[in-house]
Amino acid sequence: MSILIKLKGIKRYYDVGGEVVRALDGVDVAIDHNEYISIMGPSGSGKSTLMNMIGCLDSPTAGTYEFEGELVHDMDDNQLASIRNRKIGFVFQTFNLLSKATALRNVEVPLIYANIPRSDRIERAAESLEAVGLGDRMHHKPNELSGGQRQRVAIARALANKPSIVLADEPTGNLDSKSGVEIMKIFDDLHGRGNTIILVTHEEYIAEHADRTIHIFDGKVKEDIANHNNRREPVPT
Amino acid sequence: MSGHLWENLRISFSSILANKSRSILSVLGIVIGVLSVTLMGTMISGLDATFERSMSSFRSNVLFVSRMDWFGGDWDWWEFRNRPRIKEEYGEKLRVQSQFVEAVAPATERSGRIIRKDRQIDTRFFGTTPEYLATNDAIEIAQGRFFTEGENRSGSRVLVIGADIKDALFDNQDAIGQYVKIGNHKFRVIGVSGKMGKFMGLFSLDNQAIIPFGTFKRLFTRRGWMNIRLKVDGDRIEEAKEEIRGHMRVIRGLKPTEDDNFALNHSSTFEAQYRAIKLAIGGTGIFITALSLIVGGIGIMNIMFVSVKERTREIGVRKALGATQRTILAQFLMEAITICFLGGLFGMGVAYGLSTIINRFFPSVMPIGLALGAIFLSVMIGIISGLIPSSRAAKLDPIEALRYE
Ligand SMILES: Nc1ncnc2c1ncn2[C@@H]1O[C@H](COP(=O)(O)OP(=O)(O)OP(=O)(O)O)[C@@H](O)[C@H]1O
Ligand SMILES: [Mg+2]
Repeated sequence: MSILIKLKGIKRYYDVGGEVVRALDGVDVAIDHNEYISIMGPSGSGKSTLMNMIGCLDSPTAGTYEFEGELVHDMDDNQLASIRNRKIGFVFQTFNLLSKATALRNVEVPLIYANIPRSDRIERAAESLEAVGLGDRMHHKPNELSGGQRQRVAIARALANKPSIVLADEPTGNLDSKSGVEIMKIFDDLHGRGNTIILVTHEEYIAEHADRTIHIFDGKVKEDIANHNNRREPVPT
Repeated sequence: MSGHLWENLRISFSSILANKSRSILSVLGIVIGVLSVTLMGTMISGLDATFERSMSSFRSNVLFVSRMDWFGGDWDWWEFRNRPRIKEEYGEKLRVQSQFVEAVAPATERSGRIIRKDRQIDTRFFGTTPEYLATNDAIEIAQGRFFTEGENRSGSRVLVIGADIKDALFDNQDAIGQYVKIGNHKFRVIGVSGKMGKFMGLFSLDNQAIIPFGTFKRLFTRRGWMNIRLKVDGDRIEEAKEEIRGHMRVIRGLKPTEDDNFALNHSSTFEAQYRAIKLAIGGTGIFITALSLIVGGIGIMNIMFVSVKERTREIGVRKALGATQRTILAQFLMEAITICFLGGLFGMGVAYGLSTIINRFFPSVMPIGLALGAIFLSVMIGIISGLIPSSRAAKLDPIEALRYE
């Protein structure tokens, strides 16, 4: 099987008032199936830009991106949407839930775009919420939920279509440490079941959950190392 | 569009409900547009129905020899004043001379009051001959009979009353054989005519009484206007008109250089006039409709731009979760269509309410086809005015949209 994600010489430049901002400046990264990766680096170093690139939300100024052996550059809107819908689950730092919709409706959204019939959809959305421990909060709206609960809704939504890859940009950044630990348990659990996890974090203790940490600095990969002292406990079943 | 139709419909409804007053304001133009075109249609249908019914008493096979044109346009008052009166004998002359005339009835008319005991009614009554029945297809004698030639000659005091007069003076009692008074003259009711309705919604054809021409001449010395009804071959009206005009000119002794000093009227002059009125109403209605629909379309476009702007972040999230450009386009188009459809429906509802009120004054029906057409038009306007904002939403860059504050 080919490598899952392969970035080669990826550059992403922004033109801000005539000045070029090099958010990514030649990134080479390869990620395989079922890897657990954390991305670290100072603010403004290009972590989010890299995540968006991996998630097929952004396209590079230069360089090539192969997803499952196919060039993302050659894909049209439908193919990109389909990858985002079925293969990738996004978790954002700011949750990005639809504020007027219930937790269940939020989780239904990716299933709608996957053309899952309504009855299956509701069932699967409910299952997904139960899996993150929110079976009793399905009909609550985001403003009726705590930050940790909101992030769990966002995770349930990211997982609704059973994507193999989960991308999380500072998923615990807006949470207290207790909620953060709960969220990390979910990611560890997912990894244990064969998912590929990529998460951005500023916290060393969060990064340590991963098997491998990529350090970004000024849009370049500074360090890409395996975590040998992995302290993770086995996932309870 | 796509399989997300119901989903998009659901999103549209919740978005519209979340911004009720804004939605109502933006759709006002559409509402007024649909309302005006539907009301216009109702009006015209009512006019049509009324006109049809009214015209049957002026059957297209009847020519009227009158002193003036019904719709002359430029009447010269002095010329008109100097015109000789129409005389009863013209009828008999024309009957002999014209090959087109099938029946002749002079008719003269005045208004007055009919009294029975303590009841009375103001009405119009006119004098004519028994042949009148042959020149009016609309009238029908519901009870009793029409008067005879003998009664006409001898000036008998008999009359045929309209349905309204019968109701006003007799309620449910039998009117036949009863006596009523016109001024100081006692008349015997010999017939009641069937209901005919109103003429052009103006005056009731059922509030009129018919007395023998001979009687009219004897009792009412004041010489009112008279016209002569000529029943002719309905398929050769124009020919008949020309021929009769020639005879009339001879009767009047006009030189070739002189203008006619009489008029030959025909229901087609009513029809022409009616068509002009209809055109005016239709034109006004269409103008108002077009204007309000254009304004409505601009309103919808504006509100859709606002909606897209407000939901930029939502669009970013949806794209990140797998929405295609098409799906986003369809979502916002659906919203524009839904607003316009609801607006159109509302306009039609109001129009229906108003049409039932109009119907009380003059009979009319709301043309459902036109109303549905108007709603279809509002949906089209929804599509047209929603297209630019929706495609702007569809083309949003997901990252930009997600970063939008
Ligand atoms: N749309 C944009 N237009 C202009 N510059 C941008 C844009 N997006 C990102 N940048 C710039 O690119 C650089 C990298 O941004 P990015 O969001 O990837 O940083 P980050 O590592 O995620 O930082 P943080 O830890 O604060 O989230 C920054 O200097 C930022 O100002
Ligand atoms: Mg970031």
